[in-house]
Amino acid sequence: MMNEETEQFEHRLSRQPLRQIPGEWREEILEACRVSSAERREPERFLPSTLVSRLSTIFWPHPKAWAGLAAVWILIFAVDFSMRDTTPVVTEKAAPPSPEVIVELKRQQRMLAELIGAGQAREAETPKFLPQPRSERVEILMT
Amino acid sequence: MKMPAGLDIERLYDEHAQPLHAFLLNFTRDEADTRDLLQEIFVKLAREPELLAGVREERAFLIRLAHNAAIDLMRRRGVRDRMKENFATEIVSPFAPAGDPDEKFFRDELAAALGELPAEQRAVVHLKLWEELTFEEIAAALGISPNTAASRYRYGLDKLRDGLRPIYEEMKKAE
Repeated sequence: MMNEETEQFEHRLSRQPLRQIPGEWREEILEACRVSSAERREPERFLPSTLVSRLSTIFWPHPKAWAGLAAVWILIFAVDFSMRDTTPVVTEKAAPPSPEVIVELKRQQRMLAELIGAGQAREAETPKFLPQPRSERVEILMT
Repeated sequence: MKMPAGLDIERLYDEHAQPLHAFLLNFTRDEADTRDLLQEIFVKLAREPELLAGVREERAFLIRLAHNAAIDLMRRRGVRDRMKENFATEIVSPFAPAGDPDEKFFRDELAAALGELPAEQRAVVHLKLWEELTFEEIAAALGISPNTAASRYRYGLDKLRDGLRPIYEEMKKAE
């Protein structure tokens, strides 16, 4: 009884005619198909519009995040570029040393070498510290 | 311009566009979405005719494509459009307009009751009642098990019967 009722109900529903597809869609959709298949057959060209559409597909989900990331990279490049830029300027600005400066530098070098040499000689003369009994050390301090 | 050899897109359209339209309209409840999805499916086939290579049941395969495309569309839309849907008052009926006022009333009520079903139940009910597919065919088309298809159908039909009982009883008496 229940099954019969269900069948009747199903039959009643299935007899309801469905809405017809609008006739004008056929030509529009088939035209889109023709255009699309023709595009596919053509070799892909790297046009700016293609690039833009591809980029927009990639960046669409989180545009603000991508923009922020791009800004950070631009900042990093700017800082890096400016730092690299100043180094050669400093080098260029430094004038070649004059002969007087070279003579003075050589003199200082010589003096330094002498001083180091003298220091080393004195070190060589000074006897190494030898551990002594506490009483003897006091005597040394007194003298 | 001609289509690539081996794929007659016009034949495909003439044979399958009407049932796909009905299925998509019932699933999405939106005519513009149905139009977009239908074009998306046929354009996809025109671009990739190899998709149909080795397919025995074109209808089932196309329904599967349509179902997947409709689900993708719903996911793409997200919360914003779902809220918009909730505020929409106009019910898009998947049924042909009726001349008889009683029939018109019944179809309107049926369209509204179908709209109350979850989309997945509605898809199964549609394929069973108006495409006359078996549960195995529905399962293959929607990527679910035949048992799931059968239970979704039963739940859907019970809800429709409960919603339409007063009108249905009245119409039966009048007959």
